Parts: sequence; structure tokens; C-alpha cells
Amino acid sequence: MTAYVIRRILTGVVILILLSMVVFLVFNALPADPAALTCGKSCNPQVIEANRIRLGLDQPLYIQYWEFVRAIFVGRTYGSGTATFQCNAPCLGYSFRKGEEVTPLILKALPVTLWLSFGAFLLWLIPGVLLGIYASRRRGRWQERSVLGAALVGYSFPSFFIGLLLLFFVVIRWQWLPYPNYVSPFEDPVQFLQTMVLPWITLALVYMAFYIRLTRNQLLETYSEDYIRTARAKGLKEGTVIRKHALRAGLTPIVTAAGLDLAGLLGGAIITESIFSLPGVGRLAVEAVVDADLAIITATVLIAGTFIVIANIVVDLLYAVIDPRVRLS
Amino acid sequence: MKRKSKRGLGLVAIAASGALVLAGCSSDSGDSAATDGATSSATDEAAVEDGGKTGGTVNILLQSDQILHLDPQRNYTGVDLAFMTGYMQRTLTAYKFAEGAEGVTIVPDMATDLGTPNADATSWAFTIRDGVTFEDGTAVGCADVKYGVSRTFAQDVITDGPTYAISLLDIASTEDGSSVYKGPYLTEGNDVAAFDQAITCSEDNKTITFNLKRPAGDFNYTVTLTAFSPVPAAADTGEGYDNAPVSSGPYKISEYTKGQRMVLVRNEAWNPDSDDYRPAYPDEVVVQFSLDPSAIDQRLIADAGDDQTAVTMAGLTPESLATVFAGGDPRFAERSVDGFDPYVRYYTINSAKVPNKMHRQAIVVALNRAELLTIAGGDFAGTQGDGVIKPNLATDYAESGMWTDLFGGEVPDAGNVELAKQLIADSGEPMPLITFDYPQTPTNDKAAASVQASLAAAGIEVKLNPIEAGQYYGVVLDPEQQNELNSAGWGPDWQNASTVIPELFGANGGFNLSRVDDAEFEALVQTALGTVDRTAQADQWKELNKYAMEQAWAVPTRFGKIQYLWGSKVGNAFLWDAYGSLPFGDLYVMQ
Amino acid sequence: MTFLSVKDLQVSFQTEDGVVHAVDGVTFDLEKGKTLAIVGESGSGKSVTAQAIMGLHTGRGVKISGEINLGGMDLVGASDSTLRSMRGNSMAMIFQDPFASLHPFYRIGNQLAEAVTAHRKVSKKEARAEALRMLIKVGIPNPDQRIDDYPHQLSGGMRQRVMIAMALINGPELLIADEPTTALDVTVQAQILELLSELQAEFNTAIILITHDLGIVADMADEIVVMYGGRIVERAGLHELFYQPQMPYTVGLLASVPRLDSAGNRLLSIGGQPPSLISLPSGCVFHPRCAAMNAGSEERCKGERPDLRDVGEGHMVRCHLDDEERTAFATKRLAEVFTGE
Repeated sequence: MTAYVIRRILTGVVILILLSMVVFLVFNALPADPAALTCGKSCNPQVIEANRIRLGLDQPLYIQYWEFVRAIFVGRTYGSGTATFQCNAPCLGYSFRKGEEVTPLILKALPVTLWLSFGAFLLWLIPGVLLGIYASRRRGRWQERSVLGAALVGYSFPSFFIGLLLLFFVVIRWQWLPYPNYVSPFEDPVQFLQTMVLPWITLALVYMAFYIRLTRNQLLETYSEDYIRTARAKGLKEGTVIRKHALRAGLTPIVTAAGLDLAGLLGGAIITESIFSLPGVGRLAVEAVVDADLAIITATVLIAGTFIVIANIVVDLLYAVIDPRVRLS
Repeated sequence: MKRKSKRGLGLVAIAASGALVLAGCSSDSGDSAATDGATSSATDEAAVEDGGKTGGTVNILLQSDQILHLDPQRNYTGVDLAFMTGYMQRTLTAYKFAEGAEGVTIVPDMATDLGTPNADATSWAFTIRDGVTFEDGTAVGCADVKYGVSRTFAQDVITDGPTYAISLLDIASTEDGSSVYKGPYLTEGNDVAAFDQAITCSEDNKTITFNLKRPAGDFNYTVTLTAFSPVPAAADTGEGYDNAPVSSGPYKISEYTKGQRMVLVRNEAWNPDSDDYRPAYPDEVVVQFSLDPSAIDQRLIADAGDDQTAVTMAGLTPESLATVFAGGDPRFAERSVDGFDPYVRYYTINSAKVPNKMHRQAIVVALNRAELLTIAGGDFAGTQGDGVIKPNLATDYAESGMWTDLFGGEVPDAGNVELAKQLIADSGEPMPLITFDYPQTPTNDKAAASVQASLAAAGIEVKLNPIEAGQYYGVVLDPEQQNELNSAGWGPDWQNASTVIPELFGANGGFNLSRVDDAEFEALVQTALGTVDRTAQADQWKELNKYAMEQAWAVPTRFGKIQYLWGSKVGNAFLWDAYGSLPFGDLYVMQ
Repeated sequence: MTFLSVKDLQVSFQTEDGVVHAVDGVTFDLEKGKTLAIVGESGSGKSVTAQAIMGLHTGRGVKISGEINLGGMDLVGASDSTLRSMRGNSMAMIFQDPFASLHPFYRIGNQLAEAVTAHRKVSKKEARAEALRMLIKVGIPNPDQRIDDYPHQLSGGMRQRVMIAMALINGPELLIADEPTTALDVTVQAQILELLSELQAEFNTAIILITHDLGIVADMADEIVVMYGGRIVERAGLHELFYQPQMPYTVGLLASVPRLDSAGNRLLSIGGQPPSLISLPSGCVFHPRCAAMNAGSEERCKGERPDLRDVGEGHMVRCHLDDEERTAFATKRLAEVFTGE
């Protein structure tokens, strides 16, 4: 088991290194000239060239990449002449548009996204699975059809629609909540909750539908398994049969989906963060794309990739916890 | 120009593409504002007693995550300038808070008057009023303005700002074209003496004199730019000053979190007696960043709670225009405006690659401009243009007559194919292949297809060359890469066509995509630049605009428009032509 | 003394395609310590009958009527909780596929102990001790290690032994074994059947052995019920049925059993397919496949449902043919197999 964990982590690290190379290559292989992007309209070839040197873009690609990786571990010095400044490790680069180091920007945005993601995650996973169980127990009856129908409605509306709808009615029209304005929960828990409740609901509505259906389908499949019949033949209570035997057996795909969905969100809930003005990683990424801010784009893509890789490892380890056949083979 | 930063362009492109959607679904959205541009309906002033204006909080709702630059030497965006000059940054002169043509006239701000030029307008002196201070209470003197201006020369740190200090001040250039003065941060290899001669201070530190390379009859307009405003040397942190500028105006920053909020509170050190310009009505100004644009519109439409005192810096999204304007809804009539933005949209014709004037004229008359305007979003996106000077540059605008008689015939909005064919026939030379460079967006793709079709009808073959939007100007400003026809947009840097005609068509113009090389024209431009008499100068610009159009160096496709909505308790809101924004410094909260 | 009494059991399912009469009028009795074999092809209603006794038909659209009396208690009208308290306790069941029937994610000791704690208030430790005791009893080697194995770590025979241990752990009076050896190797089959016999002797359990294979019942069953199309078509003692089969279907089944004592090597399978329970054939449900039907009986076989008749000493048969015809057919057909003619 330990060897398995180590092997998975090492694979993850290799994937991240490859990812960083790809990200680096993609942004540098684009027809866009990063140096040209740095200079506005008073652009002339001299200014572009000066900026190219200032940003280290005149170096061969592999040296730029090396500098980028090295900066993460030992920091780096930017600029030349009068405008030098130090970017301390872990230095993920410097945003010339924002005039700030990327690492603190990410560190500031990350908690917002973490709160958003985990809150929404709990809010869709728990009711989603419970409703899925409920629907599976009421198979073929109106209760199942209502739950699945409601889920389908949630599923078919994109998050920007649900988000804007909630924002327009709950905040703007009815004024039940103040306009979202993020604060740390340790600073002002009430305002934090007031800000987060709608984004949480938005994401939960979008994601929950999938989990209801997934749980229901998984359970219906496991209900017909012989070992469920055995459990009943043993005289176990129906609740025990479902909870301990059916759900456990149907858990693997739910864990997979939940892990990857959560990782996707941690990489930035772009639309929801934008609608509700949450200063998270997703919005940082969007703004970076709008501004063609390569340093931030690179960093956010790497962060998102890291979460996906971590989630994959965690999901794989959870498989092993759930299913002894994985663990022991 | 009001720099088309990449962000600015992006927003314009988004707005334009959205406007197209609107055009499809509301046919009678009105041409009420099509002719005179500004039809503000803000007439609240009379309703409120003067004493009732003070106090309250003005809320500014923004989509962007920050004010691009707070650093006065780096601030170069119209609305950002309106914001900073209105609340925190005093300048030597400033635009009057007024509607219409009056709004593009200047009044003294920090200076006692509008400045004194020497005989040939190569030297300008301004005297700073008593009682002007920074937020720590220290007096603002000539040295502070001089220090502020010096920062522009540190081009490696002070990026994105206007470079008029470098191009106008009488300081020599090195062989590579850069100034011998490198700004205040460099001690070695820096010709500080040259700078000290270019800007001199009087003994009492009150009077500042700018010595210029060339005549500049409108230098007192130039100094409306915050690039010519004071910075206390002691507080200058270079790059970091952008996040924490020192206020000289009635408000100062008490809280600023990029992506969230900025709160401005009263600057107790500001002395109202020294400032006839800013009424400073509200107690607080709160900027909310990173809002969803449609949420901003909806909040303004709903007009509830704090949003009753809200304004924006960006115009309404096309999706909201029908709601606000089409129905003649009385809820919005008193608190909305549909008028000109500062920009002229046009296509330049590269005279180096299309040297035959009649060929250029054939392109101009063949274009179906009606279709281009429809593609851009119809009446809310703009009106047909007739030059590179817009009616809201009030003093300098006159109809060019280009569509009636400049090319030997009437040219309707849909173009005149026969006239184009005639011009090509008369030119005596075969029409060259025209390659059209444009920044690629969905809207621009449609426009390019229209260009191709309408020119083809006149027998002109057009090849399309879409360029990644963020790279566009970098490519076409390089003569090696630029082709025959280019999409462009321009707004004046200050309210004088001296920042339009010379920039676009002058020999030293920074945006001379037409590659004009015309000695006669250049001489006239230089004369106009040196004319101090504003009326006489305006007459010259009008003629030069007509000259440029007749030469077919460019074809205007649209005088851009913008629409604002504001909260019902915001007073003094109107479309201020100085910056194409609301007059932030003049706004008050109705109590 | 009759311990289990099933009278006129009817089980039907409402499906999308119509009502399925899976079991129709099944009646039999069983005494403690005895074994009743229910034999039939798949779809004959034998497993449905077994699950009806266990109360495992809980889905919607299931209709059960008739009478199931276990030790003086009527199970048809019993509440879910009553049935649950009896399942795995006074009545238990083992299934065809021991691998699929054990939960893949839980250790076998855990699964055994769970059966104990479901019915008895004992500590986990006691339940585990009980599990270990049963594992020893069913002959699992190294039981104190195997108890912590997962099902996939055991062989097929071991798994079925675990299933038997699980079924018998609470000392049930009735054990239903539904095709307990079908999924196992031939050598293992014999071991499992022997184990069942031994345990039956020890606990005096009544066993219902459900199978499609007449061959495996020969050593175990006291009485045999043959089912076809949801109905009992023949019921008799072991010896009676094997040596005096009456129903042409039973004859067909016997003819298809590979036997050591058969001189010939021909196996005769019954042609045709089992009937669809949604649309049963008219008349005798077996008639489309019946080789014994003759010109004289054809009209009745096709048109009239035969009753279950006692042809002597409790030997019940559902057939329109008269005694002579039936005996003649059975003799002729079995002779073909045994003599190889």
C-alpha cells in the first residue's frame, strides 16, 4: 500500500512537470508575442525589444523555462538597471499589468476558491446522494419522477443562468441579501455567509442533479446484485442493507466524480466567481486572460492542474480504501 | 490618444458584438440621439437646494478588477482620468463640469489661470494657487509638479502613460531616439541638467515654466493630463506608487483591495478655498470592482437601496439598452443618457502601398458604411462619420462634406459603386490587390466580409488578414507587416484636434497608419500646432480634416456612442464630453 | 410432523409486458430433518417459490396469495419486520453463485458476524467467535486466518462453505438451498452436498433443495417436486419418482441426466423452449414439447388444463394421459437411454 501511494505521488509529480512544460510551450508557441502584449499602443519595435529583454523573453525557451522553475524554489530577480526587484520563492512570476507578484495574488485568491468549492461540494454531495438514495427507493413512483425531474431542471440550466437568476431576484430585486462582498469568515462570519450562500446554492444546484442521478443509477444497479439479496436473506434491516451494502458498493463512481468535480472547482469556479464578484482563482484567471497576463495565466493553469493531479491521487487512494480488491491486487 | 489599452479594446469589441444582437431584436430602438449625440436628460439641479447636495456616498460599480492606473504619470484612460482628477489628483488646468461644448473647455484648477505662453507658444508658465496641499498637509509647489513630470521619463518603470512630456519638452534625444533624460530613479548616465532646463521653477516655488521643443498653442490643454500633475518625491515608490498615490484633491484612499473595493473618504488636508473646481459633495466614494456587467445593469435598473446613488464607468451592455431606451420608460428617462463616446472608428488606407489617390478614393466611396454600422450594433453603436474629428470635439468639428462633393459625386451610406468604378477608370492605373488587416473578433469578421463584398462590387479585390486582437496594433504599426487597409480607432488625448490630425496624419504622428508623406499638409499641421488663438486653430483643424478626407488617407466608419444609466438619487450626472464619462467630481447625492 | 406447509401458493409480477404468473397453485409439505427437492428448468417458478417463502419479494407489483405456514406462523400475511426477524434466523437461504452472493468489500468474518448481530444481542467479539465456530464447522482450513479474508481471496468451494456457514449460523429450522452447487466444480459439488447432509443430520434442519439437475437430488432428497411453467407437474418420493416417473416432462428430465448406471451414452434433451409465463400455452402447458402426446389425447392436451391427480400413495401427476400411456412412454423412453437403443 505504501509503495502504491509513493508510486502514485511520483506519477503525479511527473505529470505536473510535464504540464508545466506544456503550459510554458503553449503560451510561448502561440502566434502572440508576449513582449508585444506588454506594450500598449505607443508600441514601436524598440519598446517591444526593450520589454523582451526586461521580461527575459530574449532567452531561449529552455532557459526561460528553467528560470521559471528555479524561481519557484529559490526566487528570482526581475528587471534591470533602475527597476530591479526581488520575487521571493516560491515565485510563480510577476504580473506587469497588476504590478504584483503572482504568488501572493494566488495565495490571496486561493482561500476564496477553497471556501466556495468545499461549501458547494458539501451542499451538493450530501443532499445529492441522499436524494439519489430516496429516488432509488421510490423507483417507478411519483416521488422518483419528481426528484429526477427537478434534478433534470437543475442540470439543464448553466451555472451563469442560475447564478444571475439568484443574484437578480434575491439580491437586486427583493434585496433579501446584501450585494456579495467577500470577507474572510474569520473576519466577519455573517457577511461571509451572506456572500457565499448564493454561490454555494448556484454550484450545488448545477452539480447536485448529476449526483442524484448517479447515486440512483448506481444503487438501482447494485440492488440487483446477489450480495444485496444475501444481505436481505440474512435478515438485515433495510436501512443497513442500503447504507452498508448497496451504497458502499456503488460508491466508487460517486467518489471519482466528486473528486474530479471538486478539483475542477478548486482550479477556479470561473463563472460563479465572476457573477458573484468573488476574488477567487477562477476570476483571477479570467482577468488574466482578458489582459493577456501570461504570468498569471501560467500560474493559474498550473494550480488547476495541481488540483486535478492531487484529486486523481486521492480518488485512487479512496478506491483502495473502498475496494479491497484494488488494495490487495 | 485615449490609449486603446488591450483592455479598452476588448471591452469595445464585446460591446459592439453584443449590440449586434440587440439590433436584431429591436428595430425601432430610436434614432433620437443619432444626430446631435448627447441627449442627456439630467435636469435635477434646479430641484435641489444647494445645501442639500453635500454628504452621502456615491457608489461606482465596475466590471474591471482595478482602476488600471492610479499613478498619475501612468494614467491614460479617459474614464480613469475623469475619476482621478475628480477626486484625488489636481491638475494645472481641467475641463469644466458642463454638458455639451462647454464641457470640453478648460478652466484653471491648481493654476491661477489658464497659463501664459510666450510669443511663439514654445514656452508656457503656470502659477500654482496658494493653499494647494498633499494629503499630509504639505504645500504643493512647482518642484512637486516638476518631479511628477520627471517620472514620465523613467520609461522602464512608468509604463503605459502618455509620453507628451518626452515629445514636447525641450530635451535632446540620443541616437536611438530616446531622451537623454532617464527620469528621477537613475543617477548615472542621466542628463538631469537637460531636464532642469526644460522645466524651471520660480524662486518662490509657485510658478512653473515648461520650455518646449516646438510651438504648442494648446499646451494648457496638455496639462489637463495627470501626467503633468504633482507627486511628492518623498512618497514615490516607483512601481508601487500605482497602488497608493498621494492625494492632492478633496478625497483620499482609505481602503483599496483590488478585485473588491476602494473607499475614498474626505481628505481633511484639502483646502476648499484653494479649489474652485471641485464641489466635493459626497462624504464618501465607494468603488466596487469585479462585478458582472449584466448585474451592474440590473442593479441600476432596479434602483434599490444603495444602488440609488450608483454610477458606472463603463456603458450599459447592449442587452440592457432595449429595456432602458426603447420603451421610452419614464423610470429611466431622467437618469440615462445616450451620446457620443470619444472614439472615431475608421479604416486607414496605407498611402505607401496605395499611392494613387483615386484608388484610395475608390475604396472610400465603395464601402457600404450603412452595413458596417448595422454590423457594429446599429444606432446605439454610433452614427455615420464624416471625418476623424467628432462633433463632441466641439470646437474643432465641422462637416467635411466628404459624402456630398469631395469625391465628385454623392456617396450614400451604402456606398457608390459606380463612382468607385469611375475613379478607378480615371486613375489610369490598375487597382492593386487590397489586403485588409483587422483585429479578429466575431463582429470584425462580419465587418470584414462586408468590406470584401462591397469593394468587390466596385471591382476591387480584397484579401482578408485577421490578426489576433491583442497583437493587432503591434503588427500594423510595423511598416514591414502592415498591409493596404487597416481597421483602427482613435480618441483625442485632450480636447483639441492637435491630438488627432497630427497623430494620425502628421510626419511625427504616433499613429500614422496612413503613412502620410505630404509636405504641404505637414506645413499646415505645424502652423496649426503653433496657433494659440483657439478659434483660429480650430478653423485650421477643420480644413486639415477635410484635406485628409479628400486625400482618402482614411475612411470613417462610425462615430462611436455610449449609453449610461445611473441611480435616481445621483445629482449632476450627464455625459461629459471631456472624457466620454460621467463628471465624477461634480456628482452629488440627493438627500 | 409437518413443519412447513405451502398451500395453493400464487405469485404474480406486474411487468411492462403484462402480468407474469410465476407460481400458480404450488402446494407441498415438509417435515423437520427432511429434504424436499424442487426440480425444474429456469423460469419454472422454483426460485420464485423459494424467495416467496423467504419473503424476499418486496418490489412493487408483486402479488402473493395462498398460504405459507412455517412452524405454525403464516408468512404470506406477515409484516415486513416479522419476516425480517425470521430471515437468516429461523429460515435461511444459500444461493447459486457464492462469489456474487458475498459482498466483495467486506471480510467474510464481518459478513458472518453481521448475520449474528442482526438477530442476537451479542457483542462484536462474541459474534466473531460465533463466526469462527461456524467456519470450523463448515470445514474451512485455517479458519482463524481465513476469517479476515475477503471473498475474492477464497476458492469457489470455500465461498459456498462460507455461505452455508452464514446461513446456518443462527441455527435455522428451514434451509433453502437454491442451486447451491451449480457454479462449482463437479468434485466440489459432492463435498458441498455432503456437508449439507452432515449439517442437516446435526441440526435436524428441513431443507428445500432447488435445482434443475435431477442428478444431484438423488443422494439427498426425501421427496421431489417437479415444476414446469409455474406449476407442480409431478410430486413423489425419491424412489417412486426415479423408478416410476409418470409425467412425460419428468421422464424427459430423467433421460437427460448423465448416469453412471446407464449402459448407453445418449443423452436425450427435451426439445423446445420453456414456456413464456406471460402467455402460457393453452391446455397442458407442457403440450408443445410433449413427446408422449398422441392422437387420442391431443385434443384434451391442447384444450384443457390438466389437474394434479393422485396416482397412488401420494404420487401426484398433472397429465391427461391415462396410467397405461404414461407408463408405456416412460418405459420406452428410459429404455432408450439406459440400453442405448
